[in-house]
Amino acid sequence: MNITFRPIDRRDFIKKSLTGGAVAATLPVWNLFSYSLPLPVHSFLSDTQLGQEELKKLLSIAKQNGGEFAEVYIEHTINNNIGLDEDKISSARRGVDMGVGIRVLHGEKTGYAHSDDLSLDKLKETARVAGLIASGKAKQTDFDLKKQKIPSYYMVKTSPDSIVPAEKAKLLWKANSTARDYNKSISQVYVSYSDSNTEITIANSEGLLVNDIQTLTRLIVFVSALEKGKRSSGYAYKGGTLGYEHYNLKLAAELAEEAGRMAVAMLPAEDAPAGEYPIVMAKGECGTFFHEAIGHSLEGDGARKKTTCFWDKKGEMIATEIVSLADDGTIPGARGSINVDDEGTPGQKNILIRDGKCQGFLYDKLNAKLMKTKSTGSGRRQSYQHYPIPRMTNTYLMAGKDDPEDILKSVKKGIYISQIGGGNVSPTTGRFVFSVPEGYLIENGKITSPLKGIQLMGNGPDVLKNITMVGPDLEISGGGTCGKDGQSKPVSDGNPTLKVSKITIGGAKVRG
Amino acid sequence: MDYKKIAETVVKKALKLGADEAEAYLENNRKFEVNVRNGNVETVKQSMTKGMGLTVFKDKKLGFSYTSEFSEKALQDFVEKTVQLSQIATPKPWNGLPDLKEGKPVDLDLYDPSISKIENNKKIEIATKVEKIALAYDKRIKNSEGGWFGDAESEVFLVSSKGISRRTKSSAVTFGTGVIAGEGDNMQSGYYGSSKIHFKDLEGIEYVAKEAGKRAVEKLGARPVKTQKVPVVFSRWAAPSFWSGVLSALDGDSVFKKATFMTEYLNKPIASELITLIDNPTIPRHIASTTFDGEGKLAQKNTLIDKGVLKMFIYDTITARKAGVKVNTIAQRYGYKGTPSGSLLNVIVNKGNIKEEDIIKGIDKGFYVKGLRGSGTDVPTGNFSVGASGFWISKGELAFPVDGVTLGGNTLELMKSIELVADNLEIRGGLNSPSFKVSELIVGGQ
Repeated sequence: MNITFRPIDRRDFIKKSLTGGAVAATLPVWNLFSYSLPLPVHSFLSDTQLGQEELKKLLSIAKQNGGEFAEVYIEHTINNNIGLDEDKISSARRGVDMGVGIRVLHGEKTGYAHSDDLSLDKLKETARVAGLIASGKAKQTDFDLKKQKIPSYYMVKTSPDSIVPAEKAKLLWKANSTARDYNKSISQVYVSYSDSNTEITIANSEGLLVNDIQTLTRLIVFVSALEKGKRSSGYAYKGGTLGYEHYNLKLAAELAEEAGRMAVAMLPAEDAPAGEYPIVMAKGECGTFFHEAIGHSLEGDGARKKTTCFWDKKGEMIATEIVSLADDGTIPGARGSINVDDEGTPGQKNILIRDGKCQGFLYDKLNAKLMKTKSTGSGRRQSYQHYPIPRMTNTYLMAGKDDPEDILKSVKKGIYISQIGGGNVSPTTGRFVFSVPEGYLIENGKITSPLKGIQLMGNGPDVLKNITMVGPDLEISGGGTCGKDGQSKPVSDGNPTLKVSKITIGGAKVRG
Repeated sequence: MDYKKIAETVVKKALKLGADEAEAYLENNRKFEVNVRNGNVETVKQSMTKGMGLTVFKDKKLGFSYTSEFSEKALQDFVEKTVQLSQIATPKPWNGLPDLKEGKPVDLDLYDPSISKIENNKKIEIATKVEKIALAYDKRIKNSEGGWFGDAESEVFLVSSKGISRRTKSSAVTFGTGVIAGEGDNMQSGYYGSSKIHFKDLEGIEYVAKEAGKRAVEKLGARPVKTQKVPVVFSRWAAPSFWSGVLSALDGDSVFKKATFMTEYLNKPIASELITLIDNPTIPRHIASTTFDGEGKLAQKNTLIDKGVLKMFIYDTITARKAGVKVNTIAQRYGYKGTPSGSLLNVIVNKGNIKEEDIIKGIDKGFYVKGLRGSGTDVPTGNFSVGASGFWISKGELAFPVDGVTLGGNTLELMKSIELVADNLEIRGGLNSPSFKVSELIVGGQ
């Protein structure tokens, strides 16, 4: 598993102090439902003439060889992207993806076929091919499809596809000028705005029929600084399942200033020391660590196949008592939030570790069935070209009780991690490497000089046992895109201020 | 569907709607894959995908869209929106399609018609067999990540308003396995696979299976070492990852923006004289070969580093025009969803004349790197820092497996301190390098 790019949103747009435990319970109900979609966009799928009768027909063809479960997944996605580079709008792009994926499950087997030709004849052939995974006679060929009602966790009033590109371009120009004015060392500015509107319909042989429109938006600012031959970079961004009403010139300017602040702060950075040190992770900016180093090892496919380091640890202490970890697809507006997963199961909050004890794993339908449990609303797929696999949504270390100031004061010599960058993890061993785009030395409980080239190394299980302090100041960040088995999916993550008593730092300087 | 005709129609339509230049890139793909685990079929997947990317230039402004929806109505909307999009872009004097010579593509034998005729049962048999042999390789192998077999065919059409019309058809076939050795807190995974254009060229099932098994077992008990400065051997498995970091620093546009540490090094020594690095996408039947690059330019051989001296940066047509340099452009296109960008196609670091085992024999205490986590090179600064695994070398032999260490230093110093290059070059993928020895590097551990 690896991530090429996962910047973290410093503008904690979901500033709710999600204090340890009951997020869903503490949010008033109106908060969850006030954003239910007035269906602002034209339904592209209604153009396809795939009504309930056609869906039933396809399901019955898919099951004709005796498959136990059949599913039709229809997708229409429009995405838009504008980029600004070197004081110019350098790219203006649009993409349309449309297709149908048909899946048949039979025991542990999956048959999958997909088509971007939506004529009924082609789809019947697609259903037949998917059904070939089974061999035998159809057990049941007639079912009722019942349309499911679902809540909405998306904060969308204005569909971004309804805004003309020239309007969006204004955000980029504002961010560009603000960043360039921020400091004379700023030498390069790159700004990117992107959005996507995905309309999905899922029907299955259990009678489920569900429709969802998923909107994602993101504005990101990168800057480079150059002074006296020294270079550094900074970034900031906002993103989520958010409508266009969340974007304006003021926000663009704030992001540009934040990116500028980071680059200027890192200009005088010196080589990080190599060796073993205690670290303090800043709130909100380091959740990627828990997603990558812990979360992937708690996904149900690895647990079923016994290929992850935690597969047999359910009910056991795998962390210090102050560690609780959640994956929650229901945080309003967060980038990983889902009304339903890509199998039609409602998004939900799952506690993975509670007070140090492993509570279980994230499941899609197939792995849940084989493990004799229920889907946790974690069956996600990149597109109609992929079958679903267990995936995270919004993953975060839950809040603790230690005062963030005390956490910092407790470190005599160590490293302060302002944000975690890209990382790479083996779920088999839990072993990871992360880069740190912004980090500092801690001396006698105080943050001192900036450091470059910090690499965090170790393995997930060890780190969990070395988390000795956790603050109450949990923040969820903007998140990014997670890759697994060749499929990309939007996710976010979060964390409160915390201390890891020792971790290996790879850096260019040998400890003197 | 007549895809060539669709591409031509879209280009004409774009010109009619006011575009000065237009280029359509259309792909039609078929893919099949089967995964087995512990002897049972787990997934069978069949894909039929098509899609088209359209690039238009109007008043030196660029617009780009793609679509997988090919209905007449959708295509009309597609072309209109693309021309509209170009209007918000900033005009750039260097914008425009490449000036290409029509030329005649060389036949590199990149399509194996027999692939589409392989029976599914045969594919399942190969995936099952490779897993079975890997599982039996060693008693300590306890679990499987599965065995796989996949094949694909791809047809590409590139049509431009500048009179270029190209078509290519290629195939690919792959199989392999992943197994897990050890138990409890000490599990290690090992993967190996073979990917070729022609079915007949695939490596043997037995060989692939044993390589996977070996990789899982040899890592068992891996541990970090104390932080120290020692000679380091980058094996041919780890070297490609290192070179990919170096190549990202040779991007022409980054040079133009002075955003890479390599900016000032053209025609200067950047590596030991033992290093010659070329791009050669014209090797027949090779998986990383291509008849024309992402911009439609007929593929050719280029030398980037000649005996340690940097000879060229990597440009596509637009970045080369922008920088005002006259060079051989090399561009990749990653499917129909994007525009081409400067990138090498099939990188080869020339081999030396010493055996890898003799390199190891000559080291009293050092580190043999088998895997890198990332490429390690920070492009702006040239700082080098990366996670690594491999074996500790003691008295000329591989003594014990190592994991959880970092390598740190400076990319230029590292390349200049390459003392020996092994003769074990094997051209398997898009980045190929023999093993090489660096005189000294910091291995960061406990």
